[in-house]
Amino acid sequence: MTGGSVALRRKARSTATLFLLLPGAAFLLILFIVPVAGLVLESLSDPAGALVHYRHILAVPVYLLVLGRTVLISAVTALLCLVLGFPVAYRLSYARPWLKGLILLCIFLSFWTNLLVRTFSWMVLLNPNGIINQALGLVGLGDTVKLVYNTTGVLIGQTQILLPYMILPLAAVMGRIDLSLMNAARSLGASPYKAFMKVYVPLVKTGALAGLVLVFTLSLGSFVVPALLGGPRDMFLAQLIEFNINKTLNLNFASALATVLLATTMVLYWIGDRWFGLGRVWGGK
Amino acid sequence: MNRATRDRNLLSHSSTLSRRQLLAGGAAVGAALAMPRIARAADEEIVFATWGGSWEAAMRKAWFDPFQKKTGIAVKTISGNDYGKIEAMVKAGRTEWDVVETLPDFQWIGADKGLLAPIDFSVVDKSAIMPGKDMVTEFSVPEVLFAEVMVYNTKFNPAPQSWQDLYDLSRFPGMRTFDGTDVQAIMESALLADGVPPATLYPLDVDRALKKLETIRSQVQFFETNAQGEQYFSDGQCVLGMLPDGRAINIRDSGAPVAIQYNGTILTWSTMVIPKGAPHLAAAQKFLAYALSPEAQAAIAMAYTYGPVVPKALDLIPASRANILSGGPQMQGKAVLRGEKWWSENLTATNEKFNTWKLG
Repeated sequence: MTGGSVALRRKARSTATLFLLLPGAAFLLILFIVPVAGLVLESLSDPAGALVHYRHILAVPVYLLVLGRTVLISAVTALLCLVLGFPVAYRLSYARPWLKGLILLCIFLSFWTNLLVRTFSWMVLLNPNGIINQALGLVGLGDTVKLVYNTTGVLIGQTQILLPYMILPLAAVMGRIDLSLMNAARSLGASPYKAFMKVYVPLVKTGALAGLVLVFTLSLGSFVVPALLGGPRDMFLAQLIEFNINKTLNLNFASALATVLLATTMVLYWIGDRWFGLGRVWGGK
Repeated sequence: MNRATRDRNLLSHSSTLSRRQLLAGGAAVGAALAMPRIARAADEEIVFATWGGSWEAAMRKAWFDPFQKKTGIAVKTISGNDYGKIEAMVKAGRTEWDVVETLPDFQWIGADKGLLAPIDFSVVDKSAIMPGKDMVTEFSVPEVLFAEVMVYNTKFNPAPQSWQDLYDLSRFPGMRTFDGTDVQAIMESALLADGVPPATLYPLDVDRALKKLETIRSQVQFFETNAQGEQYFSDGQCVLGMLPDGRAINIRDSGAPVAIQYNGTILTWSTMVIPKGAPHLAAAQKFLAYALSPEAQAAIAMAYTYGPVVPKALDLIPASRANILSGGPQMQGKAVLRGEKWWSENLTATNEKFNTWKLG
């Protein structure tokens, strides 16, 4: 094979790549980039001045406080999903086919069930007169534990609803890990704990990071769960955005709030990329 | 950025939308979108944007069908009357709705933004409409009355008599509940509880209301949807609070352990407006005139528990029915009419204060 034909084939391949990328890129451009640009422009277009809404967000403490709460609860949700999703993903990756099917069925059944249905089910289960508090009442703990209409309720709902986004990327990575590496570590004298921490965990890291990013980002935009399962303090920014769209028709301000949420997400992602190597998740270096 | 650029943005938004709809709905939809006026001028039809649901079904029976019979004008409904949609539609010069039912704040918000067409009062008779501040404006007429009432658990004996009692944790212990998105009713009831006379309620002293609310902070559980609030009362999680009157009657009659206290009822109304550029302006005015006739007002009150805004309609309604309507005889002398004008100017700032309180 001559050098010329290799170059030619490489060129043909890159042209093909370009064409294959085109529909996806066009889709993103028309349905994502353009609307987001429109949103940012909307937030800056007010007869009273371009930055008036951003100044208002900074001046009235409630908006940044709610943003802080949104970020905090989302971060805790992501960590809870990691802790709960890890064992499930582990079992899923190394299970016999029938068990694998069963676990996947459970995950997808919950995944496919309507968000509102799941949230209302949690209200039935967790409310002070619900089955869980009644059971706790039998052992004398009925009134001590408040499971819903507070941050606990939001975390329970968010974690359950977002768990599949953690389990699936984790399991995808785990399935590719060669378990004989663990045996090799053991044979070289590592304790099971050390073998797990030094060999297994680093290999799973990309999957865990992908799961954390997915869960955290999806949680930032949540509306239904905090609105229905939270207490007065558990406001998410999406609730304030909705109020400004549907109750006061202040679309410019709602756009500014949405832009702040988007910018926060991007800054947090950038920090994650810079210090925790998030870029590797998507194949970067 | 100036207004013209802004309008162009909105325009490009909606043309993206219509392209998508065209792909989804085929060429027929596309043609209708391309020339909405020409396509629809031929048939006698108005488009009414509504909150939908069982309310829409009631209007169909009480208003739309009789109106069509009488005038030959059909009423087509669109469910989902968002303010945002009206603004986008009018700004893009593609108004597709003829009548929209909204909350009263929109009669000012919409007018200030130039989204509304004036009501033709030579067609619409406003003389029969009940007296009440701001119920009729240049751009709006009231549609029906609705109310928020105090609801309490029947275990209380003696029963709570006022908002003051709702705030009395020692005589009436237990969880309270309010619609957490209804900042208006929460502020108003707190001030009434604190002893502010209804006549001097507005302008609202928001700080005073929040101070009062603070006294029951640990005993309040807010709900996000009415169904949730109904559930709190039905299963006894909450023993005192506020619900829309129709919802309260509904759970009471289906056996929930609750009763209604009409003292301090907060009364307000929904309005009907015509968006600027409405394709069937004359027919829309005719519809408003019809909906405000005593007969139509009585008919809707028979179909739904929202009350008539035309007092003469009450003469056409049996007493047993009249007594469960918003603004009916059971509320006479007890209800407070909401200061909608104040709210249209102060809702955002008040809600910010309320949200700050919630976080506190």
